[in-house]
Amino acid sequence: MTVSFAVNGREVQIACDPGRTLLEVLREDLSLTGAKDGCGGEGECGACTVLLDGEPVNACLVLVGQVEGRRVETIEGLAPPGGELHPIQRAFVEAGAVQCGYCTPGAVLAARALLSREPDPSEEQIREALAGNLCRCTGYAKMVDAVRRAARELGREA
Amino acid sequence: MKPELGTVGRSEPRKDAREKVTGAARYVADLEAEGALWAAVLRSPHHSARIVSLGTERARRAPEVVAVVTSADVPGQKRYAAILADQPALAVDVVRHKGEPVALLVARTREAARSALGLLEVEYQELPAVLDPVAALEPGAPPVHENGNLLTRYQFTTGDPDAAFAGAEVVLEETFRVQRVAPGALEPEACLARWEGDGSLTLWVSSQKPFEDRRNVAAVLGLPEERVRIVSAVVGGAFGGKEDSGVAVLAGLAAWAARGTVRVVNDRWESFLAHPKRHPAVVRYRLAALRDGTILGVDVLGHLDKGAYASYGPAVAGIFTESLTGAYRIPAVRVDTRLAYTHAPFSGAMRGFGGPQAHFAVESMVDMLAARLELDPLEVRRRNAVRPGDRHYTGVPLDSSARSMERILAELERARKRLRLREAGPGRRAGVGVSLAVQSMGLGAHVPDDSTARLEWLPDGRVVILAGSPDLGQGLAVATEQLAAEALGLPAARVFTAPLDTRRSPDGGVTCASRMTYLTGNALRAAAARLEARLLEGAAELAGREVAELRYQAGEVLLPDGRRLAAGAVASRLAERGARLAAEAVASFAYPPERTPQEYPVGIPHVLHVFCGQVARVEVDPELGTVEVTDVVAVHDVGKAVNPAAVEGQIEGGVAQGLGYALSEDMPLKASGEWVDGFAEYLLPTARDVPRIECVLLEEAEASGPWGAKGVGEMGVAPTAPAVANAIFDAVGVRLTRLPASPEAILSSPGGPPPGERPR
Amino acid sequence: MPSFQLHSPSDLAELTRLLLETEGTVLAGGTDLLPRVRRGRLCPAHLVDAGRLRELRFVRREGPEVVLGALSTHADLSSSPLVRELAPALSEACASVGCPQTRNRGTLGGNIANASPAADGLPPLLVLEATAELRGPGGARAVTLPELLLGPGRTSLRPAEIIERVRFPAPPAPSGQAFQKLGRRNGMAIAVASVAALLVLDERGRIRTARLALGSLAPTARRSPAAEEALRGAEPGEAAFRRAAAAAQADAEPIDDLRASAAHRRRVLEVLVRRALERSLDRAARGRRP
Repeated sequence: MTVSFAVNGREVQIACDPGRTLLEVLREDLSLTGAKDGCGGEGECGACTVLLDGEPVNACLVLVGQVEGRRVETIEGLAPPGGELHPIQRAFVEAGAVQCGYCTPGAVLAARALLSREPDPSEEQIREALAGNLCRCTGYAKMVDAVRRAARELGREA
Repeated sequence: MKPELGTVGRSEPRKDAREKVTGAARYVADLEAEGALWAAVLRSPHHSARIVSLGTERARRAPEVVAVVTSADVPGQKRYAAILADQPALAVDVVRHKGEPVALLVARTREAARSALGLLEVEYQELPAVLDPVAALEPGAPPVHENGNLLTRYQFTTGDPDAAFAGAEVVLEETFRVQRVAPGALEPEACLARWEGDGSLTLWVSSQKPFEDRRNVAAVLGLPEERVRIVSAVVGGAFGGKEDSGVAVLAGLAAWAARGTVRVVNDRWESFLAHPKRHPAVVRYRLAALRDGTILGVDVLGHLDKGAYASYGPAVAGIFTESLTGAYRIPAVRVDTRLAYTHAPFSGAMRGFGGPQAHFAVESMVDMLAARLELDPLEVRRRNAVRPGDRHYTGVPLDSSARSMERILAELERARKRLRLREAGPGRRAGVGVSLAVQSMGLGAHVPDDSTARLEWLPDGRVVILAGSPDLGQGLAVATEQLAAEALGLPAARVFTAPLDTRRSPDGGVTCASRMTYLTGNALRAAAARLEARLLEGAAELAGREVAELRYQAGEVLLPDGRRLAAGAVASRLAERGARLAAEAVASFAYPPERTPQEYPVGIPHVLHVFCGQVARVEVDPELGTVEVTDVVAVHDVGKAVNPAAVEGQIEGGVAQGLGYALSEDMPLKASGEWVDGFAEYLLPTARDVPRIECVLLEEAEASGPWGAKGVGEMGVAPTAPAVANAIFDAVGVRLTRLPASPEAILSSPGGPPPGERPR
Repeated sequence: MPSFQLHSPSDLAELTRLLLETEGTVLAGGTDLLPRVRRGRLCPAHLVDAGRLRELRFVRREGPEVVLGALSTHADLSSSPLVRELAPALSEACASVGCPQTRNRGTLGGNIANASPAADGLPPLLVLEATAELRGPGGARAVTLPELLLGPGRTSLRPAEIIERVRFPAPPAPSGQAFQKLGRRNGMAIAVASVAALLVLDERGRIRTARLALGSLAPTARRSPAAEEALRGAEPGEAAFRRAAAAAQADAEPIDDLRASAAHRRRVLEVLVRRALERSLDRAARGRRP
């Protein structure tokens, strides 16, 4: 069976079992390995966060047959390869919010969804937006700083 | 005047951050490998059982299955070791914990491998199990191993504890229980192994100890070590959990059996059941003191739950035992630590390595002493805290490392004062608690404790560090790049780190024990001096000059005629002759006899320490028993913050782990008979559970460290849980003796909490 | 993921037919179902995805009633101005579910059909006296939630029957409602206990109608008739609320589990009931003032 959807602005058609998870298909068929499996497909860690029609979802809990005709954005779509980083990515780098990095792609995308909805979020809103993205390294402090920094940056650009 | 530093002390950006924020970083599971097969592991469903029979024929015949491996097939040693070779690669005759690997199955896809597990036919005869470390040492307890359940016992006495208790004006006794917790690195354990045509093996690992993995894989496969090559992929966190060769051994066996390339990628539940946990502990603590708060002596009996296999348990028990007096000068000490095998998933290394368990006990006791005597808890700490010139109870002098204590106490006082001014929210009660902590650095006396660093100048002018110990995500690479850059007078951007490859990299030892910045830094400093010398030699030869005529400055050689020769150019000319501009040096953790009492078992004592203190403010809902930690102030002496942002990151992450230890993380056996083994029930703190953390970095230079730096990897964890428990006591008068602090314990403790303010 | 066949019907009739033919399990947001399949706790041969039935994702007012499509997500409901205005308890409950990722996938219908005692959406729907409109091979029917919820994970849904819509009357003014939830952590919290309350006052400010529902305190989320009885006609305030909280014990049948003991649940139950009522009263009082 063929499933068609848009990934990072590009239409893809994949011949596969529609019961496979979006995470598996992104990683194995499309070589988009930025989304990670951290909790064993239980939707409990957020490392596989991608944007589905602009909203963050856990790709391990979405079957690829469910994204037919829909729009998926992964971390690889945020900045062109080798090109300039997206302001949120830059903020994560500059704020020291990256340690092991395993949760980083998911957290960046969760932040992106927040900032596209709420350009000037409170700390509480930032923490709520990141609540589904477990991080074992940073204690979240510098991740929250990064989102705040990115909001300022994006506000200036706007 | 102190010379101005170049890069050390600056929050330089990490070079791996870009690939991590773009998703380009390749962790083991992300590595592309042509035709890679998948392995799945059949795991024990029992705590304790004899394997009566293990039938593999049906599985072997299944389509897509390439190989099945049981312990009978293991060509080399059946057991591998962290410290003690007690852990079977695959279960031999018996299983000793749920989740223990019993057989390995290799198939063309992950799904095929997993579903074929059901075709393996195992008959078990269940045996009685013991899951409690105290019960495990009672007569008649079910044996976990042949030689009884007591793996290690440390009994040390200093001074005259009996006299101390006899002369005490107040004696306190309490028993503390701390739970089993998981390192919980977000990346589960994984390994990719490739059987090479020439009968050698290459493994890509996510590990704290690639060189140890090489030794273990070679031993289990019966190969000489040089036929096993280990390459470090990007590591997605470790925290002690990846001080374990488990997946490397399985992947090596799988690739060998399949004569191909095989992936082993753990599911989260496998990580919970079959990889190191922090040892649960039961600590009976007695303390003798005078009415003015002076501690005269302590008498401690500790039981640590080893789980089924030794891993690093004996070493953890050592640091636990040494940490039992915390940051205090206590003249009379009697400690008795018993490390007991049980049929639980095995414990091993985890950040703090015995320190967090001990500190929860000692820091709670000191607070209880203050409460009993109606003294200020901080004042009691000040009265008993170590001072320069003091010795640890093991006899190790603390002079250099204890200098910061007075400043730490002053910072804690300031922070507490400020936090106490804030009123609790409606219906809640606020409390502020403090804790001190000490964390040792290094592996301990008589344990090989060195690190080799190799530097190479490339023709493009950059310097590469061939790291001998992997960066686990904590930022080892950026710190060591800065240290090497400082030593060579270069900007940090000119130095980079090559990922660890046992074929090229020197053995830097295990990334653990808060030893890396200190030890690798010292090795790099020495290597940099040699590199500089080699550069001058090379330049002298090229320019036809004497070495003594040349001078090195910031990546260039100054010639007597005023010309400058760039180091890269020298490297380039040397390369033309097939020579490299490289240097290597070994640094060893020093255990000088005059600082190292010799009467202890291997691994004890540790001679360098870092001190810290934390203040936690909590708000307790006295009706629901819930605790919200609103603030943590972490005051840490780091010697020298090589990269302040990275140091803060270590402390903030450590505090978050400490908060999980204090309030939510636990891996108990459920009523169903299964262990908690997933993030749905094992509650890591989320972004909404960790408050703002304020880091106060003190820099009391350690004379033997690179630019004064000491270790920072572990020390953030230990003080957090006791600071929270002490804050809860301050808020509602409930003394918690068990972690995690459950709302239930707060509500149901004798007397219970006093009511809060009525909601307005 | 263990093997199953996924079907993706594009309308209700096809969905019903597929469920009937395959004896499959209906898949909505998947936040609860897929982890169970992944861990092998559930081994369906067929999953029938309802996700393409866009017509089941809506929030609207129909005269005196509020109607919610079963595929409305928790995020839809927590952000809907209509739900916020007329069913704030439900809005709060949906906002407390899991994390943004879960709320973007998890659905109202799934929350109900799972029949988890800890489902956040159920206590508010119970106090709103919501009716579930079902559709199956035998046609459409409507049931109340107590009729639907039989036990943990058990409902009276018939084979191949699904929840299509949920409907409840907009509460009359002056009324107030609230949702209170106790978890073991702040983010991604599962309820240790939860309570929803709804108070309707009469013209003298007395309690005309009180409804109270409990979550994670019995085999299913359920109303507490004893507490409601204790409140009927009473002067709202601390005394009445304490009586109601004590009375609610009669309707609780909590169990011991990993998150808390039954005894602890009984203890916090009274606190949550009181707080839910206080908050409801506060909102009702505010609603009275112009």
